[in-house]
Parts: sequence; structure tokens; C-alpha cells
Amino acid sequence: MKKHYVIFAGLVLMGIFYPRMFPGYLSVAITLLLYAGWATSWDILGGWAGQVSLGHASFVGLGAYFVAVGTSHHEIAPWWAVLMALFAASLVAYLWGRLTFKLKGPYFTLSTIAIAEIFRLVAINEGWLTGGATGVFIMTLPEPFGLDLFSRQVNYYLALAFAAITVLVVMLISRSKFGYQLRAVREDEDSAMASGINPTTVKLKAFMLSGALTALGGGIYAIFLSFIEPHIIFYLLLSVQIALTAIIGGRGTIWGPCIGALLVVGSGEIFRTTFAEANMLIYGLLIMVVVIFMPRGIVGEPARYLIRRVYAKRAQS
Amino acid sequence: MPSALRADGITVKFGGVVAVNDVSLDVEQGKILGLIGPNGAGKTTLFNALTGFVTPQEGRIYLHGNEITRLPPYKRTRVGIGRTFQTERPFEELTLLENVLIAAFLKEPKRKKAEQLAMDVLEKVGLADRYDQPALDLNLARRRRLELAKALAVQPSVLFLDEMMAGLNPPALKEMIEFVRRLTDQNLTIVMVEHIMEAIIELSDHVIVMANGSVITEGLPRDVIEDPRVITAYLGED
Repeated sequence: MKKHYVIFAGLVLMGIFYPRMFPGYLSVAITLLLYAGWATSWDILGGWAGQVSLGHASFVGLGAYFVAVGTSHHEIAPWWAVLMALFAASLVAYLWGRLTFKLKGPYFTLSTIAIAEIFRLVAINEGWLTGGATGVFIMTLPEPFGLDLFSRQVNYYLALAFAAITVLVVMLISRSKFGYQLRAVREDEDSAMASGINPTTVKLKAFMLSGALTALGGGIYAIFLSFIEPHIIFYLLLSVQIALTAIIGGRGTIWGPCIGALLVVGSGEIFRTTFAEANMLIYGLLIMVVVIFMPRGIVGEPARYLIRRVYAKRAQS
Repeated sequence: MPSALRADGITVKFGGVVAVNDVSLDVEQGKILGLIGPNGAGKTTLFNALTGFVTPQEGRIYLHGNEITRLPPYKRTRVGIGRTFQTERPFEELTLLENVLIAAFLKEPKRKKAEQLAMDVLEKVGLADRYDQPALDLNLARRRRLELAKALAVQPSVLFLDEMMAGLNPPALKEMIEFVRRLTDQNLTIVMVEHIMEAIIELSDHVIVMANGSVITEGLPRDVIEDPRVITAYLGED
């Protein structure tokens, strides 16, 4: 476990100096960090608790809309708006979970698509609240401590902080009582109940934490874009991308979602410039390769292999 | 001795099928109740009704005099019921210690103390030397002992064992019987569903025989297995 904290500290340090080394590549890095953070947040529910959601764009949207609408329509400072978004996201996740956790496996997943679609339709149609289909512009932002929140540098550090927080939360969870309860529920709910664990409570907590963290990233995303559209931010494709990022990297692992983000965002960036439209082809190929050859993801598969190797060696001795 | 577990008139129906029909039982503290019967007799359903995994349509269940009929399984665990599963369900990615730790957290929320408790239980079932191995690839006898360790780590007062002996080779069977016997020395009450007659005869203080959802006879193990009704239930009429 100690080594995870060392890796973490090293990565954060690298992250801090990144803008000095590659000042021209800040936007890619911001996207990458946001996806790393979203995928890590998603994984608390999707990986650790084993409840695959294809509705997490709703939480990105909640965070983004609270910040965008709050700052441009109601003159609420973005940090208060983010705080409100965290509460709203937890509440939404709680109600959402209460409604759908009776459903198992793929049925739960389908229900998340349906509920996320409701959010998208509300965002598009309830113009008085959300600015409607045209979206919301963020024109002005306060300048705390003289920081220009529109600058790429500041956006970058916000995204870095977001990704770091999510990974830290998962590292803390992984060794805690809650982390073990999550794994127990994922593996077998009956067996978990025999250990005195209430699966619904555990899944609700996971969903609330996952949703709130995702919304935090959503708020930062809104500031980064400074213009949000309901079609994009509440769209199924974003949910799918967040889920895929975590799945490709390795569900239920600490670093899987980050590796997934590096691969998905990184390759997307490289291939988009060199292959233009063929970019999606490569994206699809990447998914196929992982699903067929590494069903536990890029981090998950070797981890399992290592465990078996170490064990096999000990069994022989 | 006071009653540890009592059930009055338990009836479980699945649609039109009556799986358990008006079964009552009473187990004294520190005793072992054996539950036998041919396949499809309703043993497992009764077992699940007592542990909360199936809700009975009729009847009441009491644990140390407190009614638990409507409690969900995880709450029954919290008030003192532990159980194993017929097909053991270890969390394969986790080590043996972590497997037991999950259950140990129930009574010891602090990780250090929970780990200590889990280690003690592993010691008891004879798996302590393998504590840091992942639970995948364990052989059957060890999987059973791990399953038992998980059930013991919630520190139950009544322990339900679902076919713990099935498939064990003779030495492993002997060990398991010895182990279960020692558990009652610590005043643990045990309800076991079992097909292995050797285990039933050696361990049970009282045996209930079920067939087609009903109790056909009950009593001391020696008497019960010689009962012609029991032989008929198992072998059919000629």
C-alpha cells in the first residue's frame, strides 16, 4: 500500500511541474485529468461496488450547470456553486439509488441510461432554469486571490487537484472497512449479508460519493469550457466514455481509471490529428483488444496474473 | 438450558408449492440440531427462512426469546446468527485474512482489532499459516474451513452450517466433525443441514427429519435413523 502513496506523490509532483515543461499542451492535460478523475469517481460505484452506471454524465452535467447557471444567472461564486452541486449530486444519487438498486446487473445499467436521459431532456426543455437548448455562457468569474479562473494554467491546476482528490479518496477507501464492504457486495450480496452488511446501504454510499465527486469534476469542466450545452454535457456518449475509461484501465483498481484516461484521451488526441475520421476506428479497436485479451483491464489483468504467480511459487516451495 | 432458537409453525410457499409446511423447532443453547431428509424435502428452504434469506408466509422465529421473523438477513447476523453457504463463496481476489476481515469488521470496526479477530479465527480453523494467500485455488477442505471462519468471525450465538461435510475425504471429514464438536464447548448453538449420516450421528443432540416439506419424525439421532418412516422417505416404498 505504501508504494501506492509513493507513486501518488510522484505523480502529483510531476503534475505540478507539467505546465512549465509543456506549456503548449495544457488543454489535452486538462481533458486527461478530468477523465482520470471522472473514471476514478465512476469506479467507486462501477468497479468497487460492481454497479455499472451509464448515467454518470448526469453528475458531470449537475456540477457544470450549478457552476454555469449559478455564476451567470444568479451571481453565485463558483466555489459555493460547486458546494451546492456536491450536495445536489449526493441527493440525486441517493434518490436514484433508492429507485434502481433493486435491479441487478444489466437491468441496473439500463435504468441509469433512462434516468440520465431525463436529466438531458430537463436541461434542454426547462429553459427558465437551465438556459435551454442553446446552453449557458460563463461571461465573468470572480478572481479569488487575483487568480484568473479563465486561464488555462488555473484550469489545469483545478483539474489536477480534482484527479488527485479522487485517487486519494479511492486509496483511503481501498484499505478501509467501507472498501471491504464494497468488494463484498460486488462479489456476492448474499455472502455480504451473512457478514452483517446491508448491500443497499453500501451501494447507496458508493453512489453518493461517486456522484458527488463526478459533479466536482463537472464544475471544473464548466469553468474550463466556459460554455456548456445540454446535448453534449448530458449526453449518453459522455457517460459511455467515462465508463469505458475505467473499464479499459481496470475496474476496482486504484490506478486503472488513470491508465485508462491516459490511453483513451492520449490515443484520441494523437490519432485525431494523424488519422482524422479513422480515429474512431482505432478507438473501437482499442476497446476490442482490451475486452478480448484483458477483460479485467490493463491494470487488473496483470495484477491478477501476479497474484497467481506469487501464489503458485509459494505452493511449490 | 434456555432456548437459543425457536420456530413456531413455519410455512414457506413458492407460488402453489408448499416447500416448508408448518415446521416447529426449539434448540437449547449449546446444543446441535441436525436437519436431514431426502433431496427436495425443504431443509434448505427452512434453513433460509431461519437465516432470513426467504420470508415465511406463516410462523414466527425467536432468537433468545426475541422475535426475528421479519428481520432481513444482515440484521439477523447483527443479532447473533452466523451461516455458511452450501456452495462456499470466498471472495477470490482477496487474501484469506481479508475474506475473514470483512466479517470481523461487524464486531470490530477498527481495522487493527478486526485484523486481530480475523487472525484468531483463522488460527482456530487452522488456516493461519496461509493468511496472506488469495482465496482462489484453495482446495475443497480449506474452502470449507474458510467459509466456517467467515461465519465465526461475526461472533454468532447460533451458527447455521449448510452441508459443511459434503464431499470431504475421510480424514478431512473427521477433522471437521471434531472441529464442530469443539465449537459447542464454547456454548455456541448449531443448526446443521447434512447428508453425511456419520456427522449427524456423531454430532447432533437432536435430529429433525423432513420429507415433502413436513417433519416426519424427530428425536435422538440413533432412534431416528432406525425409524421405518425415515427409511421409507429416503429409499421409497417397495
